[in-house]
Amino acid sequence: MATLFDEIRELGVKQALIAKADDVVERVTAGMNINDIRGMLRGDEPRRPNPRLRPHADSFWLHIRPSFYHAEVTHIYPTFRLGWLSTFMFIWETITGIFLMIFYTPSPDVAFENMWEIMSNVPLGQLMRDMHRLGAEVMVLAVALHMLRTYITGSYKKPRQFTWLTGMLLLVFTLVLSFSGYLLPWDQLAYWAVTVAVSAAESHPGPAFIGKNVNLLLRGAPVIGAGGLLRFYLLHVLLLPLLTGIFIFVHYYKVVIHGHSLPPGREAIGEDTAKRVPKDERVYFLPDIMTSEMMWTALTTLGLVGGSVFFYHAVIESHADSLVTPLHVVAPWYLSWSQGWLKWIFPNPLSAFAGPLEFDSKVVVAFGIIPLLAVAFFIWPYIEVGRSRRYADRRAGLSLSMFFITFMLMSNWMGSPEFLVQATSELEVSQRLMPQEGHSILLEVPYDEWDVGTYIADEATVQAMVNAGNLHIAEALEVYIKALEDWSCTKTGHHGMADCVGYDTENGERYTNGVKDEVLVDPYAAIVIKQDQSNVRTITIEIKVDDEEDPRDFYYTRYRHEEAAYEIY
Amino acid sequence: MQVKIVITTIAFMLTMIIFGYASIREPARMETFTNAYEGRRIEWGGDIFHGNCATCHGEHGKAELCYDAEGEQIGCAGLALNNRELLCGERTPRMEAMGWLGTKEAFIGGTITAGRPWANMPTWGSDFGGSLQPYEVGYVTAYVLNWEDEELCAGPPPEPVIWPSTVPDLIAETAAGDAVNGEQLYNVAYGCAACHGDPVVDGSNAVGPWAGNFQNLDEVRVAGYTAADYMYESILEPSDYISPDCPAGPCAGPPSSMPANFGLRMSFQDMVDIMAFLNVDVSSSSGAEIVPPPAE
Ligand code: HEC
Ligand code: HEC
Ligand code: HEM
Repeated sequence: MATLFDEIRELGVKQALIAKADDVVERVTAGMNINDIRGMLRGDEPRRPNPRLRPHADSFWLHIRPSFYHAEVTHIYPTFRLGWLSTFMFIWETITGIFLMIFYTPSPDVAFENMWEIMSNVPLGQLMRDMHRLGAEVMVLAVALHMLRTYITGSYKKPRQFTWLTGMLLLVFTLVLSFSGYLLPWDQLAYWAVTVAVSAAESHPGPAFIGKNVNLLLRGAPVIGAGGLLRFYLLHVLLLPLLTGIFIFVHYYKVVIHGHSLPPGREAIGEDTAKRVPKDERVYFLPDIMTSEMMWTALTTLGLVGGSVFFYHAVIESHADSLVTPLHVVAPWYLSWSQGWLKWIFPNPLSAFAGPLEFDSKVVVAFGIIPLLAVAFFIWPYIEVGRSRRYADRRAGLSLSMFFITFMLMSNWMGSPEFLVQATSELEVSQRLMPQEGHSILLEVPYDEWDVGTYIADEATVQAMVNAGNLHIAEALEVYIKALEDWSCTKTGHHGMADCVGYDTENGERYTNGVKDEVLVDPYAAIVIKQDQSNVRTITIEIKVDDEEDPRDFYYTRYRHEEAAYEIY
Repeated sequence: MQVKIVITTIAFMLTMIIFGYASIREPARMETFTNAYEGRRIEWGGDIFHGNCATCHGEHGKAELCYDAEGEQIGCAGLALNNRELLCGERTPRMEAMGWLGTKEAFIGGTITAGRPWANMPTWGSDFGGSLQPYEVGYVTAYVLNWEDEELCAGPPPEPVIWPSTVPDLIAETAAGDAVNGEQLYNVAYGCAACHGDPVVDGSNAVGPWAGNFQNLDEVRVAGYTAADYMYESILEPSDYISPDCPAGPCAGPPSSMPANFGLRMSFQDMVDIMAFLNVDVSSSSGAEIVPPPAE
């Protein structure tokens, strides 16, 4: 074999280097030289034998992609590019995640501070964090929608049952990935959402030592601490990405083996013609599918970067504290349904003979409904074996999916604190304005807009604030007034409040406004601002009721530093 | 296909432009976040201070306005923290006095973590069995340090307070004792009553000797001391002489279980006011040297 020097002697420097470069490109692409690539991008016909097929045979990356597609599956319908988007999001999360990993230590002593350092001290750190967090949500959404579309087009049917099954694994991995990442900032919301979820393990109906040990295994100690954080971190950055990566390959491999299913109307009932693509309906991966994936990559990247710079900002709450449970612990939206189910009541139909009047909802949900649903989903293609993929023949199946989606959305809403959780009325009012964790309309009022003094929650003050140009205060007071209307009633015909209707309790008479119980009777409500240090003020929500039957005297104070900048996200 | 490549290129360029925009505003944004984090640490510290420390160090850290859990006003056991001797400058007078060589932040953080159990400042750090996690100590330290501001630190640094060496020197610098003010100081501001009882009710003392007897201590405890000389020394340096007269027999010590920091907390006038309230005759001093004169 001629060395580079021999070739230079023979062809001259320029020609020899060009030949060498050509050679390198051909090796890297496993079969295409520079001219082949240029011709491909120009839209020329390939030479014979077609070099554009060789990478599919010889290269690692392309051997799990089909060398050509049926033209029918290359449009937006039927795939909606959702499988591709799921893969893209996985790679996106990996890249942004590695960036974050560099600045993050999984230890309760520093994790929370690390998050703030990423946002305050690492160039583009906040952007990376926002992109990772936004990416996680988009990924969950993409995977769920992709699943929905394969269901609707009947693509899980024979011979693709196993593809669906590996897909279900990927769904589980995706959800657990998201959820394990949720704990890492080590703030209150993260800590308590995870604590509550993990504690479900304890409630299982078997012998006590099982729940105890599962719990211990996940938390690493009786309460989540250094051990638990490390475990979740390792799940999040090592085990789950590894499993997801592997199963994406398995999943892709199955897709190549069976071909993309054609739109249901395109083939005879019971037949699968995906692999028999007539010559004139072939769309080759190189260059058409590749350029279209490049385009979608560029557009999605633009969307995610633009979205994170201009619209989406991940929040960080206060430091995790195992001794202080925030008032309303909420699961992330993609798991909120499970929280909804926990609020249901499961009566025992046999209570007349044995057992309690109603079952513990934790047990029923965590060890009944969720496992049953999961199993049903996993084996669905093996149960539902109707031959036709056509929509007209699958009315029951399609209605079922719509019913299920509606059901999940409603469960999600039931998971929110709006539904069936009620602290005292005054606490609920103060939570609207200044929740213990999360966005607060009061803290977001710019420091300079306040004057030290008392702001009474009534229309006159709102008007005065509007006139003075203190629009943030006016807005906060509006929210205050609205919250009071929801949680109060009136005996004096106060405008905007429902009349009080009394009812008896063991502690004396209480009042309802028709919607909520134990509401405030004609409350006096104000916000009091005091100077604490030269650049720190206290904001106090003050609510007083001097009703004889049900008096209240409520204060809730938060500190507000001049530069705490709550308005930044 | 050409269209797709064009779209790809445009989208890529737009992404780069957004990245560029984000990078340009990055220094300003990072500064906002740095300040925001510092600000929030101070806010979280404020919460901790008012929940744990204000009952001894006062609502505004001035060792005034201390309240117990029921909201009753009580004497402040702690020192003023909102105080220029503790806070103003790189090396503050308190750090000098305590011989501290590290930073101011470490001085305050360390004091909070370890406490000064011998002087009634509790241990707070969870490392040493206290109730605050290290990050919480960090927050409350940031809050204490945030009292340092232009107003507090304006003007030349104060001279360190040096008590007059004898009782006659003390009364030369003060007005006549005011027993009415002394009563308030004795009962509330310094909380002497909690240990020494009501001076007109014998046996009302819970911890230390009965205060009704302080006026009778001419030449009783220390040879050559009148009652005023002895009281002056007992308040400034409780451990110099341990009294034999506690409710449960001889008092424990040294060190005395009476707080040793009244010298840092009270003014010269407060000292004579309390003596006036307890009927200790300041004019009959033997002139004994109680406080050594400052070294040249
Ligand atoms: C039981 C009363 C008490 C409580 C509660 C208390 N302290 Fe103290 N603190 C003291 C006393 C007494 C001293 C003075 C010790 C001495 O004389 O050296 C002191 C001293 C200090 C000092 C050193 C002051 C100096 O000038 O040397 C700091 C700083 C301090 N406390 C901070 C705090 C903080 C922060 C908290 C709340 C987490 C707190 N303290 C709670 C009683 C208290
Ligand atoms: C925490 C409880 C406590 C407080 C508060 C306290 N003391 Fe004492 N005091 C003691 C104890 C215990 C002794 C006895 C031990 C000793 O001699 O040092 C003592 C001793 C004395 C003595 C000497 C008494 C004797 O019979 O020898 C005087 C005088 C005195 N205290 C004055 C005061 C004054 C004035 C105040 C308020 C400014 C005060 N103490 C606050 C506990 C306290
Ligand atoms: C990380 C998660 C996932 C990734 C990366 C992924 C990726 C893909 C890709 C790229 C395809 C090619 C066709 C298309 O784009 O639609 C595909 C097809 C398919 N996926 Fe997924 N998928 C994921 C999750 C799921 C889930 C949750 C299911 C259902 C439970 C599922 C079931 C299927 C099925 C049945 C096909 C065959 C579709 C056909 O041939 O038309 N996948 N997947």
